[in-house]
Amino acid sequence: MNIMPGLKTTASALNAEKLRMDVIGQNIANAHTTKGPDGKPYARQVVSFEAQLIGLGRDASGQMKTGVGVQVKDIQSDDTKGQLIYNPGHPDADEKGMVRLPNVNVTHEMVDMIAASRAYEANLQVVRTSKQMAQQAIRMGK
Amino acid sequence: MIEQLFQRENYVVAKKMLDAAHDRHQAISSNIANVETPGYKRQDVSADFATEMQKLAKAGDLQKIQQLTPKLVNDLNSPSVRADGNNVQIDNELLKMATNATEYEFLAKYTSNSLNRLKTAITGQVR
Repeated sequence: MNIMPGLKTTASALNAEKLRMDVIGQNIANAHTTKGPDGKPYARQVVSFEAQLIGLGRDASGQMKTGVGVQVKDIQSDDTKGQLIYNPGHPDADEKGMVRLPNVNVTHEMVDMIAASRAYEANLQVVRTSKQMAQQAIRMGK
Repeated sequence: MIEQLFQRENYVVAKKMLDAAHDRHQAISSNIANVETPGYKRQDVSADFATEMQKLAKAGDLQKIQQLTPKLVNDLNSPSVRADGNNVQIDNELLKMATNATEYEFLAKYTSNSLNRLKTAITGQVR
């Protein structure tokens, strides 16, 4: 039995949400990067989550207890093509004067960012409650 | 003789329900952690626990109450309103967490007070 119930699972979620936030930040930062190291415009990165079993020690009857945490399964590139705009003065313009922009949609990224930060907040709330519960357990009999 | 003091029905039941509240918090924290995991189904303490506990408490069967262990089960009945099959509703979970934390607080205080009453009886002093 854990003194702080749910802490391990919540920690894994906080970690995953932070990584998601990092990737969203990277996407927004590169919203106008028309040439990456591979010579192509920046491709938007997408984080996908998967559930992860976390061992929490044994209970009174000796059975292994598990919690379901979360981990980042994969960070994938979004392969859809970005917008093509006419800008002959651009250094990355082709012979027709067209420039391929990255497929990052800043509005989408902002919405994702809000979702990630709210999820982070919800998990922090769990940490706060876990802490309260642990304090009450410690104070028992006093 | 001292063991018998800890075998009173309310005390035993409160202890078991503390265990259940502890496990429920674990389940809720898993649910909130996986709010964006595709295909995740929410966990909860099985409904059997409450009904079984009620039955045993009515019958006054302390032996069986002590053997009762809360189990976490996947809640497949809650409808999923999302395309990815995940059936966690974040507002619901946060509400459940607050309710459960209050229940935990009550039970912790109750057990704590039971022990304090015992102390008072032993020492004859009210702290």
